[in-house]
Amino acid sequence: MKYLPLLWAGLWRKPARTILTLLSIVVAFVLFGILSGIDAGFARTLQASRLDRLFTDSRFGAPMQIAYAEQIARVPGVAVVAPRRGLYGYYQNPKEGVLVIARDERFFSLRPEITITPAHIAALRQTRTGVVVSVYYHNKYGWKVGDKIPLQTQTPRVDGSQVWTFDVVGIVDDTNYPGQAGWFLCNYEYLDEASASGKGTIDRFLVRIKDPERAVQISHQIDHLFANSASPTRTSSEKSTVQSGLQYLGDMQLFTHAVVGAVFFMLLFVTGNTMLQSVRERVPEIAVLKTLGFSDNAVLRLVIAESVLLCLIAASVGLLVAKLAIPLTRPLIQDFVALLQTGWGDSLRGFALALMVAIISSVYPAWRVRQLTIVDALSRH
Amino acid sequence: MNALRQILAVTAIGLRAIPQRLGPSLVVVVGMACVVAVSISILSMSTGFMRTIGSTGRADRAIVLSRNSQYEGASSITRDNVPVIADGPGIRKAADGKPIVSADYMAYVAVTKKSNGLDAYVDVRGMSPGGFALRPEIKLIDGRLFRPATHEVIVGKSAQTAFEGLEVGSKVTLPEGDWTVTGTFESGGSGFESEMLADAETVISGMRANAFNSMTVLLTTPEAFNQFKAALVSNPALAVDVLRENDYLAVQARDLNRFLTIVAYLVGGVMGLGALFGALNTLYSAVSTRSTEIATLRVFGFGAGAILFSILAEALLLSLLGAALGALLAWLAFNGNLHAAGSLVFRLTVTPLLMTQGIVFACALGLLGGLLPALRAARVPVAVALRDS
Repeated sequence: MKYLPLLWAGLWRKPARTILTLLSIVVAFVLFGILSGIDAGFARTLQASRLDRLFTDSRFGAPMQIAYAEQIARVPGVAVVAPRRGLYGYYQNPKEGVLVIARDERFFSLRPEITITPAHIAALRQTRTGVVVSVYYHNKYGWKVGDKIPLQTQTPRVDGSQVWTFDVVGIVDDTNYPGQAGWFLCNYEYLDEASASGKGTIDRFLVRIKDPERAVQISHQIDHLFANSASPTRTSSEKSTVQSGLQYLGDMQLFTHAVVGAVFFMLLFVTGNTMLQSVRERVPEIAVLKTLGFSDNAVLRLVIAESVLLCLIAASVGLLVAKLAIPLTRPLIQDFVALLQTGWGDSLRGFALALMVAIISSVYPAWRVRQLTIVDALSRH
Repeated sequence: MNALRQILAVTAIGLRAIPQRLGPSLVVVVGMACVVAVSISILSMSTGFMRTIGSTGRADRAIVLSRNSQYEGASSITRDNVPVIADGPGIRKAADGKPIVSADYMAYVAVTKKSNGLDAYVDVRGMSPGGFALRPEIKLIDGRLFRPATHEVIVGKSAQTAFEGLEVGSKVTLPEGDWTVTGTFESGGSGFESEMLADAETVISGMRANAFNSMTVLLTTPEAFNQFKAALVSNPALAVDVLRENDYLAVQARDLNRFLTIVAYLVGGVMGLGALFGALNTLYSAVSTRSTEIATLRVFGFGAGAILFSILAEALLLSLLGAALGALLAWLAFNGNLHAAGSLVFRLTVTPLLMTQGIVFACALGLLGGLLPALRAARVPVAVALRDS
């Protein structure tokens, strides 16, 4: 610590060079911060998805019978089965779909992340056309408790109309993605009774299992039950479903890692060059330090410490800028990476990266300084 | 002429000294190489994607979807509607006098991606018998066509390359047991190569469905579209949207393309800024180590302009070298690589245009980074520089 003023003075020997080097590193860390924000968003989505929650979907898209639920529930290791049927519609704007999930009460025990209250459940039970919507829709369309929501759909009702109307009985949130997840949850009986076709059909069973370790095995057992039925199933854990879903953009992680790799490589040259130039100019000063009794290893450490100081300052500024910039980039790409975010873990990784760049890039300059003999160094000038 | 000769002479002196300033010069070269390689590789994704989409859609084909459905999967065309749509005006007729149309039904099969072992889906397009006349770009390159009323499919070349278990002769799991892959087709790199094709009626009966998803028609001319669309939209028996195939696909592709473009410019821009600072740094230090030399040249009668341009030329050459390296690297590493976004498989495409754009961008950065140091070099005060050495 007592060498800090010395390091500081060394750093600012040529302010223009130091500032330009700092700026290069800052920019690199802004990029790193934003990319790891994207990465973290993906990781968070994956982390929020559970291994003990299985989705049983129709293998080929043909609807499944609600009676499957009883058969699935009898598979050893299955705790709860919640059937649901989806209804695609839109509110005012045909380009922005709303997914209506028609479910019964078992649904909420499979989705503990939804902040449902006993009062909401009671209200849903009393109102056949009742629906609870998430804060996301409340913010987007201004829906409130008591509102009537007409949705335009492709699913005809018994009366021939394709407009379905729901009554909002509660606003809930999703603790995994507060304010960002769109939930529109209505009563299964309402959809089943009022729709002209597809009575008693289900398009997904949510299955909670007791032991996440047995997810694959239980999935196979469930699919085996219906292999020869009218609509075979395909069961997989939420985690693997989400993992495949994130592939929509292709391999994002590979991409972010490649970019970070390129940036890192570039930084090694920028920092390494600056340190090399800096020590070359300071050969006489370093000789003086050695004359004063600094050991060879002490000057080596000084050079490395200077590089570390430079990189850490730049990394802090860069990561801070990234944190501030992320809310600005969100609207540009939120359709794809809804969960862009930064955690302290990413900052830590950023600092670790900065430390690595600093050390690797200063090893050679520091080694050269270590090898200098006082006589040579002083006589050269 | 004299000025040009001066610039050339000073530039040559500067360039010959580069081996002594290898470290700083490498910073520019590596910096520019990284910027160009990264930007080009991201853009190669959207270029390949758009090329695939672009070669799929034709202006003289129209797709009919049920009203307000945004994509084929969400659309439903009933059996009653099929002859009404096929009867529309402006549809090209085959030799036997029948309109060239296909009512399609979309199913999918779960597959495993070869690259990372994750689950993915391949669309299975059930086509009417007229489907091949409608889409003459589809050509069988291996095996034979599927036969109606049997459980057979043919698979697109891209899908076959990207996913496991789709070779000719292998079985895929569709309803009512295994379906046999009887052949491989290509379609000039279009999106169909990511799909499997089968007979529509056979797929529909296997799926126990009773309606098609969409209908595509071949028009007599691209201009016949308006007439065709007007007739269908005003027909009270139908509730459909009619789009040109290329417009429909462009809308489907818009969001992903926009995303990739934004990311490419964002990342390229930020990295470019970093490389710019690197170039500034390098050239400033080059100017400062060469100040005595520059002053000496000035004493010999070289003009300030010549000095200025020589520094700019050095910046430009270093950037050019780096950019060319980066472009080459991106081309070698990525051009032609298969990439699957969702169920669409396409090849990353590094076009000469893309490489040129990357190189121009890097050269502009290099010039910008060289400008201030060049100005400083041109203004080196001769007496001070010589006395200080």
